[in-house]
Parts: sequence; structure tokens; C-alpha cells
Amino acid sequence: MEVTFYGVRGSIPAPGPDTNRYGGNTSCVALRTAGGALVILDAGTGMVPLGRALLAGDFGKGKGVAAVFVSHAHWDHIQGFPFFAPVFIPGNRFMVYGPGRSSTMLEGILEGQMNPHFSPLHTMRNLGATIELAAVDAADDGEFIESGLLVRGHLNPHGATTALAYRIEEEGRVLVYASDAGYPATGPSEATLALYADADVLIHDCTYTPEDRAQRMERGFSSIADAADCAVRARVKHLVMTHYDQDYTDDMVDALAARCRQILDDKGGSQIALTAAREGMTLKV
Amino acid sequence: MKVRFWGVRGSFPVPGADTNRYGGNTSCVEVRVDGGPLIVIDAGTGIRKLGKELMQGEFGEGKGTAHLLVSHTHWDHIQGLPFFAPIYQRGNRLHVYARQRDTHLRMVFASQTDAPYFPVPFDAAQADISYRELIEGARFEIGPVRVSCTRLNHPWIAMAYRLDYDGASVAYVTDTAPFRDILIEQEFIRTPPRPGDPLKPDDAAKLAAMRDGVVKLCEGADLVIYDTQFTPEEYAQRTHWGHSTADDAIEIALSAGAKKLALFHYDPTRTDADVDRILSDCRVRTRGLEVIASAEGMELTVGKTRPSREMQIISPIEVRKWK
Repeated sequence: MEVTFYGVRGSIPAPGPDTNRYGGNTSCVALRTAGGALVILDAGTGMVPLGRALLAGDFGKGKGVAAVFVSHAHWDHIQGFPFFAPVFIPGNRFMVYGPGRSSTMLEGILEGQMNPHFSPLHTMRNLGATIELAAVDAADDGEFIESGLLVRGHLNPHGATTALAYRIEEEGRVLVYASDAGYPATGPSEATLALYADADVLIHDCTYTPEDRAQRMERGFSSIADAADCAVRARVKHLVMTHYDQDYTDDMVDALAARCRQILDDKGGSQIALTAAREGMTLKV
Repeated sequence: MKVRFWGVRGSFPVPGADTNRYGGNTSCVEVRVDGGPLIVIDAGTGIRKLGKELMQGEFGEGKGTAHLLVSHTHWDHIQGLPFFAPIYQRGNRLHVYARQRDTHLRMVFASQTDAPYFPVPFDAAQADISYRELIEGARFEIGPVRVSCTRLNHPWIAMAYRLDYDGASVAYVTDTAPFRDILIEQEFIRTPPRPGDPLKPDDAAKLAAMRDGVVKLCEGADLVIYDTQFTPEEYAQRTHWGHSTADDAIEIALSAGAKKLALFHYDPTRTDADVDRILSDCRVRTRGLEVIASAEGMELTVGKTRPSREMQIISPIEVRKWK
């Protein structure tokens, strides 16, 4: 498996010279499986440059196939979808997974952002590509097979709502994508740690410094300390930071990464590799 | 009158090194007059940074008042509002103006932050927010500033605004297609015409009236801020998207005898170098009209020393006030 980051920012895109190095686009990660399939994790504005890149291949000819795993329906995780060029090309096929009790409910959520008050598209039916939807029912173990991957979804607390974290396994390799996780003061649940257990790569919400997190508990995001705690307790091999606060400059993210390294070492996780995700970065799992 | 640009981009925000100079935030323009209230036009992502600045002053103490004129409610014109810090401070007042719809304006804005799309419900905004729904051609006053509006050629219909104060005038004209190839209203258009395809007579008459309204709105304006999303080649492919080119903007500004034209609402694919090129190309062909390219952070002083004169009367005043 190989992952490429297209959007690493939380809440709202943050353009400007201060975010050039890590990038200002909201959440989107492209996963290429060993078998060559494409899975897109979240559909923030990072999905727009991903779509442009994909047009050079099968998606430009209407022969592309991809799965999209949506963590939850907050804007910064779906707002790139109506601007993702491959969805306008007939013949392309997308299988969209996301939280919800039914696929109809999930469809309604994606429809809502194309309502004519807000978007000239009016409805998803005006997109040229074929789009199928499947709700991931985390209450029922949330397990499914897609593109040769064994996938398990688990709902993490996220402020007043929840967000799906995905554990993705292929040929003995494990990638976990856990964006927007706001654990209670008591820390992550056993079920959450089980989802992350022994992952080769854990991509985890690192929105805040511990101080900012303490001020904004109700927003339901992790600090670097929360992420480091999960990585150590779940015996993860490589922690990847993402979903930085929109007000954090590149220099602040540099400092965030240095501090996260220190916290990992202090917690007995000195063997855990650490990377601060940035747009355009590719990692092998 | 002072005009400051906080977001000049169309469709969606575009972070990255290619947009550092002109900026990647979506539409937002601040207008200030001496002793008058703050006027903001559109609430794209640019409004977030304006909000942060405002919180350093009276808005931080819950004593600020702002008037927000909304061209239309497509995402790139409203998506910054939930991140506009002054609305979460009790005591601040925000008056929102937009075109009347069959759905109440408050409902449209509130649904932007409904579950499951946003963590903070619109009701959590502590500021006093009121809504004023405008009919096409409405005229009204915001303190000492006279405001007029006219409709544009855009899906689900957008409004252009003109502000007049003490002899100075600014027109804000976005989003709109030119008024010649297609009439764009509420319907989704599946197969767009090519430029130059014949129009239905009814549509031609409507478009001519719409163009007259826009020219009148811009008449003699010190500054016209205009939708220049497309290149001519892009426009030919997307006549039904409801956006213009720099050529269209120049044509309207010249017809209206405007003094200065600011290119605005750049396509998300446009790099800084592209905007430079479009601007220098414009300047070759503008017969005395000054053309500039709007950029995030740019501040313009408009018509400071001009004598006052009567504003063009567009149609009878009608403002419906809602709370």
C-alpha cells in the first residue's frame, strides 16, 4: 500500500504564504493498494488537485474506478466532492462509504451540499459518473471488503457527533485513518485502541497543541498528546500527523511535530516513527 | 470610501504557492466610509481573516455592527460565515441582505450549519443577526451609504450591488455570465449553447433588459468589481456556468463610463502568473479605463475628492425586513 496526501488541514481551507509548505487544503488522502486499486480517504478540498492529477489516466477516459471512504459529513471532509473532476465524466465509477444507518441517508447528506441554493449542480444525478453508496454500520462491527482490502470502521467520539476511523489491511500490512477524534478526558476506548492495534501506519488527527485542546475540548479534536498516547498504547509503528488547525502556520506545524516527537519519546515510544503529513507527500505502508 | 479585498477567488478556495500574491480565499470585500457602519460584500472564506481583525476592535467587546450584502448563496459566497468570529460574540449586530427566495433567507443560512455538516449550529451565534430580503432593483440606505441592486445572469440568480457615498461609488458585479448567449435562471441546463447560437426572442429581450440594468448600475462608477472567472476559451465551453471574461467586464465598464475596473472572482485554476498575463493583456485595450487585478489585502480609496451627485434611480424602493 502507498498513501499520498492531498489535504491535511482541518475545518476550512487556509490559503496564504504561511501554509505553503504543509498545504492549506482540507482532508484528502489517496491510497493505492498493492493490487493497484485507488481508495480515497475523505473528500475535502484536497480532492480537487487529486482529481486533476487523475485525469491524466483512466479517469480522463471515463474508465476510472475508485472507492471513497468518508469519515463523517462535516464540510471539510466532503466539500471537495462537487469539484472533483472525475465525477463529471460518464463511465467513471465510485463506491462511496461513509457513516450512516442506511445508504439512503448517506446519499441525502451528499445531495444536501448540491442543493440549488448552494451549488449550481442541483443534485448528484447531474454528475456524469456512476456513484454508488454504502453506509458503514459501525454498530454491526463495521467490517467490509473493498478493492481487495479488509476494512473495519469504528466510530470515534467527535464533539457532539462521531467520526468513522478506518482500519485497512492488505497482505498483512495495516493502515489506520483516524481523523477528527475527540476522546473524553479518560482517553480512547478499548475498542478504539483495538482498531489501531499494531498498525504499520496510523494517520491520526493532530489538530491542536495540548494547550489549545484544553481550551477547546468540546470541539472534539485531538492534540498531539492524544495522538502520541494512542500510538504508544496501540503499539503503532509509524504515527502520521494530520488535520492541522486552520490558524496554524507552517512554522507552528514544525514546532507541533518537534513537540510530538518529544511526547512520544517521553511516553516510551521512541521506536515509533513520526511524520507530519504535508500535501504531495507519499508514504509506503 | 475605502475598499479592501479579503477574498477574490471563485468556486472554491485555492491554497498553494501559485496563489500567494492574488490570494486563494473565496469572495469577500470590505467597504468603509467615514463615520458610517461597516459594509461587507459576500462571505466567502476571506471573511474569516476579516473577522479575526474585527475582533481586535469593538466587535471583540460585543459592540460592533456590520452589514453583509450577499450576491447569492452559492458556497463560495457564504462558506466563511460560520468562521466569522464576530457572530459568536453577544452584543454584535449583523444585518444580512440577499435576494428574496421562496425559502426564507434565515433558513438557507441556518441549513449551512445544520447537522451533520457543521459542529456548531447557527443558533449558537450569540450576535443579533437579522435578515433583509431584497427584490430585484431594490434601493435602500445603510447609514449614509445608498445601496442599489440589479439581477445577474447566473444559476439560481445573483444580485449586483452599487454603493454610493459622498459622491463616490463602487459597483460589485459577480457572479454573472455575459448577456448574449444564454439566459440562466432556476433550471439546470444540461446542454449549453455555443457562443453565437441564436437565442429565443423572449430570452433575448430579458437579457437585453438585464444588461441595461447592469450598465445602469455601473454608470460613472469610480470602481467596478466584476466577475472575470473565465478566459474566452473556457467561456466557450461553459456558457451555462454563469461567469464572464475580462473582455466582458471591460465591455460593460466602458459602456457604463466607469473609471476603474477591478478584475475579480478568478477561476480556481488561475495562477498568479496567469492573472498577471490577463491583466497586462487588458491594459492594452481599454481606451482610458483603468484596469486593475484585485488581490487579497489590496486596499483602494475610492473617489475621495469628488463632488456628490445624484444616484441613478433604478426602481422603487422595496426592502422587506425579517427578523
